[in-house]
Amino acid sequence: MTWLQRHVRPEQIRELSLLLLIVVAIFFFGSLIDGYYTFRTFNRIASSVAIITVVAVGQTLVVLTRNIDLSVGSIVGFTAYFVGTLIASHNSINPFFAVAIAILIGAALGVVNGVLVSWGRVPAVVVTLGTLAIYRGVLVDLSGAKTVTTDSLPQWLIDLPLLNVLPIGSLDIRALFVLALVIVVLFHLGTIYLSFARRFYAIGSNPEAAQLIGLPMKSVVFLAFVICGALSGLGGFMMLARFGNITVEAGRGLELSVVAAVVVGGVNIFGGSGTVTGAMLGAALIGTLEQSLFRLGISEFWLNAVLGLLILLAVASDAIILQRLRALWTRAELKLIVGAPEKRGTQP
Amino acid sequence: MRKMMMSAAAFALLALAPQSGWTQVATVTPGKDVSMVLLPKFLGILPFDQAHKGAEEAAKELQNPAALQFLGPTPQNSVAGQIEIVTNATTQGVKAIMISNNSGDQIAPAAKVAQAKGVKVVTWDSPIPSAEGEDVFVAQVDFSEIGKVMADMALSILGPNGGKFAILSASPDASNQNAWIAAMKTALKDPKYAQLNLVDTVYGNDESEKSYTQAQALVDKYPDLRLIMAPTSVGIVAAAKALQDEKLCDKVKVSGLGLPSEMLAYTKNGCAPQFALWSFVDLGYLAYYTAYALATGAIKAEEGAKFKAGRMGDYAITKDPTRAKGLRVLMGPFTVYTKDNVEAAAK
Repeated sequence: MTWLQRHVRPEQIRELSLLLLIVVAIFFFGSLIDGYYTFRTFNRIASSVAIITVVAVGQTLVVLTRNIDLSVGSIVGFTAYFVGTLIASHNSINPFFAVAIAILIGAALGVVNGVLVSWGRVPAVVVTLGTLAIYRGVLVDLSGAKTVTTDSLPQWLIDLPLLNVLPIGSLDIRALFVLALVIVVLFHLGTIYLSFARRFYAIGSNPEAAQLIGLPMKSVVFLAFVICGALSGLGGFMMLARFGNITVEAGRGLELSVVAAVVVGGVNIFGGSGTVTGAMLGAALIGTLEQSLFRLGISEFWLNAVLGLLILLAVASDAIILQRLRALWTRAELKLIVGAPEKRGTQP
Repeated sequence: MRKMMMSAAAFALLALAPQSGWTQVATVTPGKDVSMVLLPKFLGILPFDQAHKGAEEAAKELQNPAALQFLGPTPQNSVAGQIEIVTNATTQGVKAIMISNNSGDQIAPAAKVAQAKGVKVVTWDSPIPSAEGEDVFVAQVDFSEIGKVMADMALSILGPNGGKFAILSASPDASNQNAWIAAMKTALKDPKYAQLNLVDTVYGNDESEKSYTQAQALVDKYPDLRLIMAPTSVGIVAAAKALQDEKLCDKVKVSGLGLPSEMLAYTKNGCAPQFALWSFVDLGYLAYYTAYALATGAIKAEEGAKFKAGRMGDYAITKDPTRAKGLRVLMGPFTVYTKDNVEAAAK
């Protein structure tokens, strides 16, 4: 077993290569775009990555259980709009209470998804494709053709996206970005060290085995959808803070970026493997691409096509490269265990 | 006695009318049962909500027993949704459809079918570019005038030394915005505007986030940009917010077409010193009167026809100078808002 094989898992190689890909992308765009290496570019990318990341963390949990949540974009829009309307009419509302409401609205929408998938026995793709349309439809209907505008929001919310938590020289580390990092760290540690959270992996990697050892399959899947909804609700609040003006359009198409982030980040679309940190790296790559292609003036349609291509490439590379790597690692481990016969073979 | 004189005068007018056909101002008869559909570009933004209010006001005045249907697609489905609504309304047998067209000429076949079934098709806010399938267009303001107003606002903000500016529009299919931009480009040929340098036109699709990101991309791409001109109420607030977040308001200004209530803060703090708009309530009101007059047969959709539109007074159908085959009813006027008058209008 080589040094590499002893110290690094195949999944980590994938995450490292993703990091490399991000660096390559940054150099690539830097050579095409004048004045790309500025703090302003960093802030643009960081603000857009923050929202994708928070929602992608929730999506990761769902994908781990061999499901998918396509309704996240609608949940983000729904929450952004209704929390925005609430804050606009009650300017004195406590900021933490407002965030709590956003998370609760998101979680409630996640409950609907979870119940239908777990106990309604409808495939997640179908359920969430339905709720994607339903949540947006309800939003358009209830909104009564109104828009949430920045001037109706209290000052703290307008200042929030510009709030600089950690000024390093002229580089801003903004509050929303830090919030996203905190979520990633919490969920990364949670999914690694909490035995409860390992159930997401167990169910996804081998449902039959998970059932045999008596894991509560339905409630675990249900929980994944609720957490995904809650984090989408938080993402909705972040969107409200960032853009200020919220129409019924808010968050449309976000599901594509989020699913791309998760899959590119190395979370296996067939469940059971992948990490929250990987999803964050995926979000960073997607965010960099989105902002940079935008800067190049490339049409939105191409941007979506690029995202689609990335999803396909990621899934294909999972199937081909990662499986070979895993096979290599397993062989090395086997050799280590049955080390003796190998020596005997080489003696004469 | 007075009543008699009035009716005598009315009689005289009627008697005169046949000889001088084109000067006759038709008055519509209230209380007729005319089912009508008001179709905005999409649901969910304030201008269309205001137009709906105006149309309801007209419906109440005219005591139309058939309730007005305010039907619109969702924003992401605007083009296909509009065509579907026109087709469905035709099948249901409504008498008139009032469309703010967001589908370019793609809606023309559906509108033609509607006309063939006897439905009156009135466009408002945004016409059908080829005028096919359309009876008449209720124009908010003369389109070439809007182009000139935008050029004037740009000149007044940038000053005689001019500078670079860019346009942030709605969707590439929006025929009203496209016509205004074309009109503005024509206006810019005047030597008076020689120092104004239009560097780019980008589209925010009337989505707040997209428009916000487009505005950011513009200031990144053109470091010496001085003005973003957004002829759409969604784009203009998103651009103002983006520049404010970038702390660029002293350097780059925003102008265009917007709603006073949404623009108040930015006009007050100097981010958007000037912008223009007309009344969408009046536009909805006039569109309803026009469609009602056509559907009840009070007027025909032909050049020279005149009618009285309630509180707004008399209007005539004329040729539309901006479209070869189109007819229009011209509303006007518009207001240019500055920090001096925006507060009163925002209420």
